[in-house]
Amino acid sequence: MANRAESLTSGNVGALSTQKQGRGGRIPWTMIIMYLILLIGVVIAILPFFWMVSASLMTYGETATRQWWPSVPQWGNYAEAWREAEFSKYFMNSVIITAVTLTGQLITSILAGYAFARIKFIGRDIIFALLLSTMMIPAMVTMIPNFQLIANKISFIPLPGGSWLNTLQGITVPYMVSVFSIFLLRQFFTQIPWELWDAARMDGAGHLRFLIRVVLPISKAPIATVAIFGFISAWNDFLWPLLVTTTDTWRPLMVGLWTLQSEAGPETQLIMAASVITIIPILILYFMTQKQFTEGIAT
Amino acid sequence: MAAASPPASPKRRKRIRWIDVQEQLTGYLFIAPAVLLVFMFGLFPIGYAFYMSLRRWRVVDRGYIGLANYQKIVGDWVGLLMFVAGFIVWMLAYLVWNRAFKSETLRGLIGKLILAFVLMAGGAFIGLGWGRMMATGDAKFLRSLPITFYYAVGSVPIQLAIALVLAFILFQNIRGREGFRMIFFLPYITPVIATALVFRFIFSPRPTSLANRFLEAFGMQAQKWLFESKPVLQILAGGDTILGVPIQGFWAGPSLALFSITLFGIWTFIGYNTVIFLAGLGNIPDSLYEAAEIDGANKAELFRHITLPLLSPVTFYLSLIGFIGTFKAFNHIFVMQEPSAQGTVETASIAIFNTFYKASQFGYATAQAMLLFGIILALTLVQNKIFGERVFYG
Repeated sequence: MANRAESLTSGNVGALSTQKQGRGGRIPWTMIIMYLILLIGVVIAILPFFWMVSASLMTYGETATRQWWPSVPQWGNYAEAWREAEFSKYFMNSVIITAVTLTGQLITSILAGYAFARIKFIGRDIIFALLLSTMMIPAMVTMIPNFQLIANKISFIPLPGGSWLNTLQGITVPYMVSVFSIFLLRQFFTQIPWELWDAARMDGAGHLRFLIRVVLPISKAPIATVAIFGFISAWNDFLWPLLVTTTDTWRPLMVGLWTLQSEAGPETQLIMAASVITIIPILILYFMTQKQFTEGIAT
Repeated sequence: MAAASPPASPKRRKRIRWIDVQEQLTGYLFIAPAVLLVFMFGLFPIGYAFYMSLRRWRVVDRGYIGLANYQKIVGDWVGLLMFVAGFIVWMLAYLVWNRAFKSETLRGLIGKLILAFVLMAGGAFIGLGWGRMMATGDAKFLRSLPITFYYAVGSVPIQLAIALVLAFILFQNIRGREGFRMIFFLPYITPVIATALVFRFIFSPRPTSLANRFLEAFGMQAQKWLFESKPVLQILAGGDTILGVPIQGFWAGPSLALFSITLFGIWTFIGYNTVIFLAGLGNIPDSLYEAAEIDGANKAELFRHITLPLLSPVTFYLSLIGFIGTFKAFNHIFVMQEPSAQGTVETASIAIFNTFYKASQFGYATAQAMLLFGIILALTLVQNKIFGERVFYG
């Protein structure tokens, strides 16, 4: 019986596939070409990373040769890069900066995303459109006034505690909001059935309680997506920290990597080792949460 | 919504009003942190940048100087006017083309001739205006605009085309689709500073650099890549003419250094575009393909008449954010720029940054930034007008 069913279905599939082949007849060929293109794509996407790792393990002399892989891997390069220019400090700074920025961003985005999706108030759509339009503003325009603001040079907006240059709040606070995250969360929150809200309402819950008790537990996926993107942009950020850190105190990894490059000059192997160090946390996060990534941005 | 049910009695109405007020307040409270931050660091700075751009401001504010900063950039207002007028003529010509000369042959022919003339006139205006501006304005900043243009035009269409091919292939019955997608997406999420540093190494002028070894494998001469200020076309032609036509100025195109940076840009963004395209392909209903297949359409026709039109909103979105992105691009160009490239990779963002950070001319830098902002806005509008009409929303 099972056999027959199997032959039946496979017969169907066979009929379908011959039907398909009847049109082209060269399907295996197109398949081969397609895999070939994909393979070339993979090589191009991966090669720079391979090269980064390979060069990071070479001796200084080897980086100038035609070798693809060091004859003896120099793991000491990593230790040297780590010691050079206080990389351990930069690494910790980056971890703290990313954590603080991300926390702030999640709180503001979840609250705003919820309000824009589920609370009716006057001017809601206009405010939302205004927020969206700010995504078009080039950083170059806002950078200079923001620098003035953080340096406490704008007299009518005094900052608590004076200038925020070289402080944690100076680096993180301007990035504690993400319009993209608000937009993404709002999309998801609008899809939550209203019956849930009505039921919560009967139990006497307000918006905040409903948000924390009901909405958050069922929104783990979109929140994870937003968190991952927040993590990456905070970790990878370069221009703003470069401007507001003149000392080592809160200098993050990316700025440290750049200064290392301008100081170490031709010592390619050290620069590559340092680059690998900055990439590793992102890679770990990426491979752990792969699905959230590619599906998250496609919504 | 329960709260929206019609009121039954005056007493009930009063209670609902109170709930309504409470609801409004909650809404404002919830958005307050986000809106406050966006206002402080996103909107207020635009106004303040404009204010700064009207003042002489080198680290310290030295007072109002009117439009002098802008004057310094464009030099000759008449030149700017001619330049802009030339573009408006082009825009109008395009619109007329679309509206009037579609069908009748004779009228169409005359129309095309007139149009060609108008286009030439517009082009002459643009050239003349640009010449006047370059002669009297800030040539260094003005030069950064065509460089930005090269970068945008060189990277966005190519990365979209490659991404579309990859997405289309992945959408077929490909084994290991997830794996491919994951790998293609990798360059987009890794820190730009780190990957740009590797590309500095790959495109180094050493004869043993990866890029030069690649050329060598095809029997070509080693190049200086990021250190090369010569235009790519001149290098390919081996001189400054192609078939007797001189290639100079704007028409010579990007330098090899900028070309290398463009390659990096393409490498970074292909994965992102591929993933979005892939999602777009998934949203096209199968029934359409099936119907067309019954009507006897072949694969190419399916792609041309179903896939492309239905994907056009995605393409439009990607090209829009792609262009805005290239005009905003900073980090990787900053890392990959070399003094030997002689400013041929200095895009508008880099130029503004240098005016601000290196030269400490705060007021002047904000004027440049406002100008760039204006250009981005104008381009977005034009793109909306020209391509937005062609987008098919199903």
